[in-house]
Amino acid sequence: MKPGKVPSARISQLLFLLLFLVLFVQTEYRGSDRISLAVNSFFRADPLVGLSYFLAEKSFSLLLLPSLILAVCTLFLGRFFCGWICPLGTLLDLVTVKIRKTAPLKFLQGRVKYWLLLPLLFAALFNVNLAGLLDPIAILVRALTFSLYPLFGDTVRQGWVGLYRVLGEGRDVLAPGYGFLRDHLLPFRETFYPLAFLSFGMFLGIVFLERYETRLWCRRLCPLGTLLGLLARFSPFRRTPAALCPDCGECRSHCPTSFDQDLLQQEECLRCMSCRLKCRFGRVSFAFGGFGSGTKYLPERRILLGGLVSGFFLARLFRFRFPWTQAAVLRPPGVRDEQDFLKKCVRCGECMKVCLRSALYPAVMQAGVEGLYTPVVLPRLGYCEYNCTLCGQVCPTGAIPDLPVEEKKREVIGKAVLDRSHCLPLAKGINCIVCEEHCPIPLKAIRSEEIPSVDASGRSFVLRKPYVVDTLCNGCGICEYVCPLEGKSGIEVFAVKDRTPLSGVDVEADLPY
Amino acid sequence: MDRRQFLKLLGLSPFYSNLLLCEAMAAEKSLVAIADDRDYSQATIKAINALGGMRRFVRPGNVVVVKPNIGWDRSPEQAANTHPLVVRAVVSEALRAGARKVKVFDRTCNDPRRCYVNSGIEAALRGMKNVDLKHIEGERFKSVRLNGRTLRDWELYDEVLSADVFINVPVAKHHGLTGLTLGLKNIMGIMGGNRGSIHRHIDSALADINAVVKSHLTVVDATRILTAHGPQGGEPRDVKILNKVLASSDIVAADAVATMLFGLKPEAIATTVAAYRRGLGEMKMTGIRILRV
Repeated sequence: MKPGKVPSARISQLLFLLLFLVLFVQTEYRGSDRISLAVNSFFRADPLVGLSYFLAEKSFSLLLLPSLILAVCTLFLGRFFCGWICPLGTLLDLVTVKIRKTAPLKFLQGRVKYWLLLPLLFAALFNVNLAGLLDPIAILVRALTFSLYPLFGDTVRQGWVGLYRVLGEGRDVLAPGYGFLRDHLLPFRETFYPLAFLSFGMFLGIVFLERYETRLWCRRLCPLGTLLGLLARFSPFRRTPAALCPDCGECRSHCPTSFDQDLLQQEECLRCMSCRLKCRFGRVSFAFGGFGSGTKYLPERRILLGGLVSGFFLARLFRFRFPWTQAAVLRPPGVRDEQDFLKKCVRCGECMKVCLRSALYPAVMQAGVEGLYTPVVLPRLGYCEYNCTLCGQVCPTGAIPDLPVEEKKREVIGKAVLDRSHCLPLAKGINCIVCEEHCPIPLKAIRSEEIPSVDASGRSFVLRKPYVVDTLCNGCGICEYVCPLEGKSGIEVFAVKDRTPLSGVDVEADLPY
Repeated sequence: MDRRQFLKLLGLSPFYSNLLLCEAMAAEKSLVAIADDRDYSQATIKAINALGGMRRFVRPGNVVVVKPNIGWDRSPEQAANTHPLVVRAVVSEALRAGARKVKVFDRTCNDPRRCYVNSGIEAALRGMKNVDLKHIEGERFKSVRLNGRTLRDWELYDEVLSADVFINVPVAKHHGLTGLTLGLKNIMGIMGGNRGSIHRHIDSALADINAVVKSHLTVVDATRILTAHGPQGGEPRDVKILNKVLASSDIVAADAVATMLFGLKPEAIATTVAAYRRGLGEMKMTGIRILRV
C-alpha cells in the first residue's frame, strides 16, 4: 500500500457519516410543510428494524422495503453495511486509533451476541418489540437528539445571548451570520430531554468498549451486526486466502474484527478490504466463490430455545405499568392503538427531534419498561401544532402514520379537562379565557358562557366561564400549554382509549344546545 | 376657550364625569382615513397618503418598527393575521420616506416559523433591502417601568423601545375575550413574559402598555375581517371581505372607527374605552373626522 492512500471503504464511511449528519440536521421544520429527506432513510434500510417489525406486526410494510434490499445484499456481499455504511461503526473507527487497547473481554466472546439478538427477536414475535433500544443507528440518533444536539444548540445560543449582554443592539451587525446558522444548522428551539444522560451514556459506553478491542460493540454485541453476520455466513463474496498465511500473519493487525482466530470469521468480516490494500505480497483478493455456509452454524439449538424462552419472558415481564401514569401517556397524532404503536415504534427519537413545538419527549417510565424511549406528548411543555404533520412524515415504520393535514387535524391525542379548583374563572371568578383564544379548532372545542357576576370590590361584570366540547377536542394540548397559571395548568389533556377521529365540521349538530 | 369658560368648566367639573371633561378639553378632531380598494397595496397607500403621507411620520434615516399581527399559523384568507400586501405596502412606504431600516416582527402564539411562512408575510418581504423580518429573541425583552393602573412594570421588546418610529399594523378581527382585537390589543406582540396573565384585567393593562409605547401610526387591515371564532378563526364563513384599510395617528380613533365596521359601537369594546378614559386618544365620533378615499 502506498502511504497516504485511503481505502475506498473509509471514503464510503465518511460519505455516509456526512449523509447521516446532514439528514439528521434536515429532520427539522425548515419552512416547508413536507420534509422530503430525513434521517429515517437509515432506519428504513435497517434489517433489524425490518425484521423486528415483521415479527411483531406479522406483516410487512412497504416503508421498510429498503431493509429487505439491504438484507438481500448482505446475503451476497456479507457485512459490508458495518464496514462501509454504519455511522456508528465509522465513528468507532475514527476514535479507536486514539484509544490504547487492553486485553479483550473474555465474557463477551462467543455467544453473548446471540443471547442479545435472539431474545429481542423472539420478544418481538410475542408482541414486545424492543429491538430499537439496542439498534446501533437508534443509539446514535438518540444520543444526538437527546444530548449532543441540544447541548450544541444551547451552547451556541447562550453564546449569542452573551453577545447581547455585551454588545446590546450592536449585536445586530452579526445577525445575518447567526441567522444563517439558526436556519440551517441549529435546533430552532433549545429543548432539553429526559433520558439525556442514558442516551449519551449508551453511546459513550460503546466508545468506552473500544479500549478492550477494536469494534468490540460491532463484533460482540450489536444486534444489527449479529443479524447481518448470520446472513453473511451464506455470502459467496469471500476473501482468499481464508486463513492467515503462515509466513506473514500481518492481517491479524490490519483487520478490525475477525482475525483473532487463524481462520477468517465470515460473519464478522466487514468487507472493509483493508487487508487486501495492506498486503505486502498482493496475495489477498475478494471474489465471488460458491454459495454455502463457510463456518459451522453457531447459534445451536440451545441458544435458539433459550432465546425463545427468554424472549417470551421478556415479552410478558416488561408489561407492567403504574396505573396512575396511564392518563398521561399521550401519543403523537394518528396513533390510535397503544399496543400496535409499541410494536411498530423503533424508539429512534426522530419524531421528538422534528417536533415543531417540542411537544414530544421520550417516555421514562410512564409507559412501562416496554415503553422506554417511546414518544409521549407533554402538553405543559409543548403542544401539537394544528397544521403540522412532521412526526408522521419522519417516522420510519409508520408507527405514527403519515397523514394528510386535514386528516391529522381530526386525530385525537386525548381530551382536555378543566380543573375547577385551579382554572381562574372557575375557581376564582377572574376572567381569563386564554385557552379558548388559542384553541385551534375553527368552531372552538373550548367555549365560554357569559355569567353576570360581581367582583371582590362589588363591581358587576361579565364572567366568561370556559367549558370543553368533547366532540370537537383533538387533545392538541395548546390550552394546557398556554394556561397562564404558574406550574400546574388549569386545563389538562388526559389520554382516552377511544381515539376515533373527530367527524369534521358536522359535529356542530351533535352539540347539546 | 377663554378664561371665563375655563373657570366655569373647572367649577363644574366635580359634577361631570371624567369623560365629559375629556370631551370638552379635546381641542382638535382626530383624523381617520378609510381607503377602499380591491388592490390592498393601493388601499394601504391611499389611506396613509390621506393622512399626509408617510413622510409625516418617518424622517430620512429613521429606524422603523412595523408590527403586524402574525400571531397564528393561518393563511391570509383566514383573516387571522395582517394581510401580507398591507404589510408590504407599509414597509415600502416607510422605505420610500427614507427609513434606514425597517424591522418587522411579532411575538407569535403558534410556532413562529410557521406563522411567518403561512401568513404570507415572509414571502411578501423577501428580497426587500433594509428590511428585517425577525424572530423574537427572549433576551431582548427589557423590564420597563410602566407605573400603570394595572401593570407596574413589564418586559417589552428592546427594538420597539429604541426605534424612531413605531407603526402598528393590526388586522381587524373578532376576539373571544375583548370582543374585537385591533391596534390597542396588537401591542401585546411586543410584550414578554406570561402575557396570558394580563387577561384578568386586560383593558386596563393594555392601556398601561399603550400609554408608554406610542403607536406613531396605526394602519388597520380591514381588507377582510374575521367576524366570529377569533382571534384564530379558520372557518371561511366567518370571514367578511371589506377591501378597506384604515389609518390614523390616533390609535384609539383608529380602533373606534374600525369597530364600526363590525356593526358595533366603539363603546362596546372595553379596550377602546379604557384607552380613551386614559386620554390615549379619541373615541367619540364627535371628535373624529373620517376621511374616505
